[in-house]
Amino acid sequence: MGKSLRDFHDVELAAQAAAGGRREYGELVRRHGSAVRGLLRRMGATPSLSDDVAQDAFLQGFQRCSEFRGQGTFAGWIKKIAARLYLKRVAKEARYVAEVETDQADVVVDRGGLMDLDEALKTLNETERVCVSLCHGAGMSHPEIAAAMNLPLGTVKSHVKRGLDKLRARLQPAQGDGRSIHVG
Amino acid sequence: MSADEFDPMIERMFAQSPRLADEALFLATLQARMEKQSRWRVLALTAAGLVGGALAIREGLTVNFASGGETTLDQGIRAAAATAQGAAQSGLDGLGVGSVDLSSGTGVLAFWIVAGAMAAVLAAGAARLSQDV
Repeated sequence: MGKSLRDFHDVELAAQAAAGGRREYGELVRRHGSAVRGLLRRMGATPSLSDDVAQDAFLQGFQRCSEFRGQGTFAGWIKKIAARLYLKRVAKEARYVAEVETDQADVVVDRGGLMDLDEALKTLNETERVCVSLCHGAGMSHPEIAAAMNLPLGTVKSHVKRGLDKLRARLQPAQGDGRSIHVG
Repeated sequence: MSADEFDPMIERMFAQSPRLADEALFLATLQARMEKQSRWRVLALTAAGLVGGALAIREGLTVNFASGGETTLDQGIRAAAATAQGAAQSGLDGLGVGSVDLSSGTGVLAFWIVAGAMAAVLAAGAARLSQDV
């Protein structure tokens, strides 16, 4: 009995997709589509924009599949493509302002004491959210983020650090007790 | 919790992305776009082939019917054509159909019939693809 597509490793599927295998690539999309769309939403994209950019990323991924040779994970590779496409899209729309502080100081959380990452990310300003998502969600290094966002390296490091500090302040107490909390 | 413990925790949380309910629709839309993109590529290649073929035929006819004032380029093309014809003739000899003389009226006619048939097949394919797209 032959192996089902689900039995193949990502690297094997990517190799077959590089040779034109659309079914194999479809399996990769099925496995990682939600994660890529989720990352884009965490970066601040609306659901429709995240779907649009994710589609473009997977189309580009199919054309460039031969470039993926198993260094790192396929998910990480395609997430980087998607994140860069998203940054280009928002740069076109000139949505970035380097220092916009939209501190949401009063966030009431009542989810059985657990504040999830998506909620916590909403407390960061847009640039911090994108920097933290690129660093910890897409696995990009600080220099890669600086190049992709056209920001100085030091600025990127500051955004990541501030973003993480805010996440830590909001996530840690929520995980400690099981009560409704008020953060800010 | 220290930063050393917190950073991996954040990465784990990022890695835990919920599966979206419409992932089947997302995949179907993507596959439709891939299919469409592939058709356009085939269509573009076919069109390029047709244009290239048409130009080659036109050039061939121009060389055949050019009279007087033969340039170096004309001579070069004529020499290349003679070489190609010789190679094709030797190929025909190898296939045991050496009696077909490409420089004769029958040979030229056969060449044009085959070329015309190929052009018709390509045009039909292009028309079908354009309907699909």
